[in-house]
Amino acid sequence: MAFAIEFFLRRLSQGLLIVLLVAFVIFTLLRVAPGDPIRIILGPMATATAMEETAQKLGLRDPIPVQFGRFVLDVAQGDFGRSFIRGKQGGASGGSQDGAMDMADRAPVMGLIATALPYTLLLAGLGLVFSFLIAVPIGLAAGLNAGRWQQKLGLYVSSLFVSLPNIWVGVVLIYLLSAKSGLLPAIGYRNFAYAIIPAIVVAVEMSPVLIRAIAVSIASNVQEAYFDIGQVRGIGRNRMIYRHVLRNAAVPLLNVFGAQMIGMLLGGLFVVEYIFSFPGIGLLTINAVFQRDFPIIQAVAILASAVLVLINILVDFASTTIDRRLKF
Amino acid sequence: MSDIALTARPKNRGVTARIVAGAWSSTEMKIAVCIFLALALMTLLAPLVIDASATKITVADRFLPPVFMEGGRFPYLLGTDQLGRDLLLRSLIGLRNALAIGVVSVLLIFVIGCAIGIYSGYRGGWVDVVLMRITDVQMSIPVIILAITILGMSRPTAVTVILVLVLAGWPTYARVARSVTLAERQKEYVRAAKILGASDLRIMALHIAPSILPSIAFVAVLDIARMMIFEAIFGFIGIGIQPPTPTFGTIISAGTQYLLNAWWITIVPGCLLALALTSLNLMGGVLERSRNLVLQGKL
Amino acid sequence: MAAEPLVRVDNLSVTLAGRGGQGGTRPVLSDISFDVAPRSVLGIIGESGSGKTVLSNALVNWVQAPLNIASGHIFYGGRDLLALPETEMAKLRGREIAYIGANPTVALDPTVPVGRQIVEKLMEVEPGIARAAARRRVIETLDAVRIPSAGRRFDEYPFQFSGGMMQRAMIVDALVSNPKLLVADNITQPLDVTVAAQIIRLLRDLQNDFETAVVFISSALGVVSDIADDVLVINAGRIVERQPAGALTRAPEHAYTRALIEKVPRLWTGAQTPAASHAADVVLEVRDVERTYVVPDRTTLFGENRVRAVRGVSFDVRRGESFGLIGESGCGKSTLSRLLSSIEPPDKGAIRVGGQDIAGLRGKPLLEMRRRFQLLLQDPYNAIAAHASIGRTIEEPLRIHGLASGAALKARVRDVMAEVGLPADLYDSLPVGLSAGQRQRVNIARALALEPSLMILDETLSALDQVEQARLLALFETLQQKHGITYLYISHDLAMVRRVCARIGVMYLGRIVELADNAAIFENPRHPYTRALLSSVLTVEPKPFLPETYLLEGEPPDPIHIPQGCSFRSRCPFAFDRCAREDPALVFDGAGAAAACHLADGQLPQAAPLIAAGGHPIPPAN
Repeated sequence: MAFAIEFFLRRLSQGLLIVLLVAFVIFTLLRVAPGDPIRIILGPMATATAMEETAQKLGLRDPIPVQFGRFVLDVAQGDFGRSFIRGKQGGASGGSQDGAMDMADRAPVMGLIATALPYTLLLAGLGLVFSFLIAVPIGLAAGLNAGRWQQKLGLYVSSLFVSLPNIWVGVVLIYLLSAKSGLLPAIGYRNFAYAIIPAIVVAVEMSPVLIRAIAVSIASNVQEAYFDIGQVRGIGRNRMIYRHVLRNAAVPLLNVFGAQMIGMLLGGLFVVEYIFSFPGIGLLTINAVFQRDFPIIQAVAILASAVLVLINILVDFASTTIDRRLKF
Repeated sequence: MSDIALTARPKNRGVTARIVAGAWSSTEMKIAVCIFLALALMTLLAPLVIDASATKITVADRFLPPVFMEGGRFPYLLGTDQLGRDLLLRSLIGLRNALAIGVVSVLLIFVIGCAIGIYSGYRGGWVDVVLMRITDVQMSIPVIILAITILGMSRPTAVTVILVLVLAGWPTYARVARSVTLAERQKEYVRAAKILGASDLRIMALHIAPSILPSIAFVAVLDIARMMIFEAIFGFIGIGIQPPTPTFGTIISAGTQYLLNAWWITIVPGCLLALALTSLNLMGGVLERSRNLVLQGKL
Repeated sequence: MAAEPLVRVDNLSVTLAGRGGQGGTRPVLSDISFDVAPRSVLGIIGESGSGKTVLSNALVNWVQAPLNIASGHIFYGGRDLLALPETEMAKLRGREIAYIGANPTVALDPTVPVGRQIVEKLMEVEPGIARAAARRRVIETLDAVRIPSAGRRFDEYPFQFSGGMMQRAMIVDALVSNPKLLVADNITQPLDVTVAAQIIRLLRDLQNDFETAVVFISSALGVVSDIADDVLVINAGRIVERQPAGALTRAPEHAYTRALIEKVPRLWTGAQTPAASHAADVVLEVRDVERTYVVPDRTTLFGENRVRAVRGVSFDVRRGESFGLIGESGCGKSTLSRLLSSIEPPDKGAIRVGGQDIAGLRGKPLLEMRRRFQLLLQDPYNAIAAHASIGRTIEEPLRIHGLASGAALKARVRDVMAEVGLPADLYDSLPVGLSAGQRQRVNIARALALEPSLMILDETLSALDQVEQARLLALFETLQQKHGITYLYISHDLAMVRRVCARIGVMYLGRIVELADNAAIFENPRHPYTRALLSSVLTVEPKPFLPETYLLEGEPPDPIHIPQGCSFRSRCPFAFDRCAREDPALVFDGAGAAAACHLADGQLPQAAPLIAAGGHPIPPAN
């Protein structure tokens, strides 16, 4: 118990610091990037005085640390600000010509994210399910049969899948499964079926990492002395695999999952959503980049890194409960 | 469990040589190397041999399919795109650019990441803590988000693309190099070097680095392919190297609009890219396996 | 023997396939035949590489590629184990035929409590048993092997067990199903002598209680002759001799066996000892050195533990002599070696080389000190980097110190290589094919290139076999005479220290508990721990200190929880109430010997007269 409390206190405070630093980096990057956000908010026709007035009102002329401090205080109260572009009713309303702009009718960033999040979660969940369906059997077979054809199969499949750029797989699947054959819908989202092709693309991207991780961790545990000795002690091979090898392999697997796969998944979702015009967080963000809609970009970046940090903390904690040695 | 175990006398060869030899003994490796060399040679020779242009717009030759299909004609071996440019040539130039970006960025990542990692692991203490927290921060920003923030907000060039890839990639190498260094630092040869009087810099550069870098370098081959995919994705989203320079991303992205009538514009270059990446990944995979076998003393 | 044998091995041959299917095969075991009688202990002795581990694996039918059983049978209960289908064999393994290996720390799943894994095995081999009953039986058996507070230990993980505890747990695991045959493969090899002695006695007792036949395999003749009824000597995959244990050491028949017995070092009867040292000036002066490490304590919030690895060590090493420090694992030897080699500074106290404190040295003076003061490490495999050629490795110190360059550098390296007996043509080869002994020579050559005047040998020879060890000891002696080098041996090997060290310090839990001349330490030690160490040595000669009198209970306390008063009292057979109150100091007598014990001279039992195996008293050495 003392361990758990100390672990979470230590890791959460570290994590908070990391997220704050990430936020600062992103925040600064966005503000030193070329392009004046006021021009974006007000549109190309705004007068210089109107621009100056809005800038003052939004505090965009203050030094960056001051702006950042204000931003952090707002975020602490759950307020990520409002979109520069998107109106409350949806759709871009940037460039109204009537002088100084009232930010009140721009959509709050949290709302936009909350709307998009379920789609992203659906796609992520389905993608993970598909990748496990592909990777677990292949990875297990490869790991338990080192030096035999199953291991080669694992190597081939993972080498092939990891070599297929997701953008290309997406387009090919749209062509084969949707445009040409009409089996599944592909662009946008109207019902669950729209998530299937994008999820396959996500799975093709994720599964090679998973196959390799499973194969390697299983194979290395099968080589551990306890596996052989267990069988000499009288415990059956299958029981040794199910009760001991899988348990021990879970630790490196969890680490791969936390350190590599979640980051990959986040990146993959962005691209896949963009290819399929899937209305999740990724599409929201990429459009925001093209429209220079800073509040959305920084909010997504910060939340994404918070998710990464949090998942890594949970993964590490889970590892210590499986393998007590990690506590010491 | 066996003491006789394999005392058969190993050949007097270094670890690196054994890893390479072990990898080379497999058929996959030979095939992958051949494919890769053939493609690399093509990217260099094709512009001299093929009588067509990768950038010149020829409206009359738009949407020509590959020669093996009905309607295809020479010199457009793999057909033309929506502006009548030769697809094979564009793909090969795209491949050359992607390879260059991949190799350069991985080299930089390798050098920077490993240097920081070795230093961090060897020094330990607060230096290590600070450096590792920096990698934490860097790794907590997904690559794509970092890329679209930096590239989307500026004018992307080959240099900024490489910069983003290096920025995104170095922490992984720093982490790996650090953890290996931590283990290595405990080994007796490091202590022996210290006792002999070697300085810290000397130990890091002449003792630790040569022992750990080869095995990390073999895995770096896999990352060249990964960086090439990122380059393609950036191009596809429109934040990569800008047209008219051909990149896979822009070719595939442009082709999506003509998917139904001229599928080859996206499919064919993609196949070429996938072929190149598969050869790289296969090489990396076999090298990695061979390395593991050597490190376990099985080869 | 009249009784039907339990196991009959008949013409067993095992071969090793060449790598990758090529290169043919070579024999590992050839025409092995023997019987094991029920309830008997058969010892099998062989050097490393003799094939004895393969034989132990074959007895449980667990021979795996690239090894292959070429021919032969192993009959058990009328059936040939080698011909049994895997499902039938699996029913016997762990149930009727149990196996214990050499390395207990890796034998169990590291992520599951020890007790649970033994219960798992018991339930697997006795499907009818209820979990609660299985648990009870396991705890009872843990108790029987004298694991303290067995109920609590049941739920602890393998990494929380010491090597000796773990080996006890493996004995429980093997015996809990009441097997008819137990194959024990080198089970004392990784353990300290005092712990190994406990395990041997335990196994002998249990073998009686459980009426199990034991095949006891070991490379240490002393261990086998101690426990076995009959001993089988195996060399290069062939049986060379079989005799009852007593007869074997008394009257070996085969030349190989004689050579084997010859190689066992003697500590008393005809022991080789060094000349007493007469030098006066002190080269290395260690004064009240302490080192404590702070580690996090996971049982309390933000808690910390203090590991007191070295607790006030003082000794002097005089010019030209060989000084020895002995002790078991965890006694602080390796920390002391790190302090001495200036890898880390002591928290308190001083280490002076030639009168100069080495703790604060930086830059040039440090480099100067390192030139004069070298340390040779234990592990010949890790002490040399794999990526550099042998010549390059030996050049390194000369380059660091800028002592030579170009042709002179190469010439100097060739000189030292010749001096340590490395062929010159190894200059450009990588260390990869070298034997442990050759590697250790490279290691020695590298230190010798600096022409040091003081060398620490930190378990330098413990990874080598007897023959190679003897050769290197001779080399060290030659170097000492030629260059006047002073040696500090740090070792757990009593026989080696007996042979070469003029003065010896015995360490226990971060302290020196006894410091005296060679003869005093081995013939009339004044600290009970020294006597316990000597009583645990496995030899083929009579011992002046018998295990019955001195055998220690339990294991050394961990250096976090050091007992109040005398730190040895928790295991001392002679502890009395003053020991709990008062920490004895290391008091020197007139002859320069010292022991940290409240029992003054004469209060410890008399040394036993040395009775030769034949029954005649033997005069002590010297």
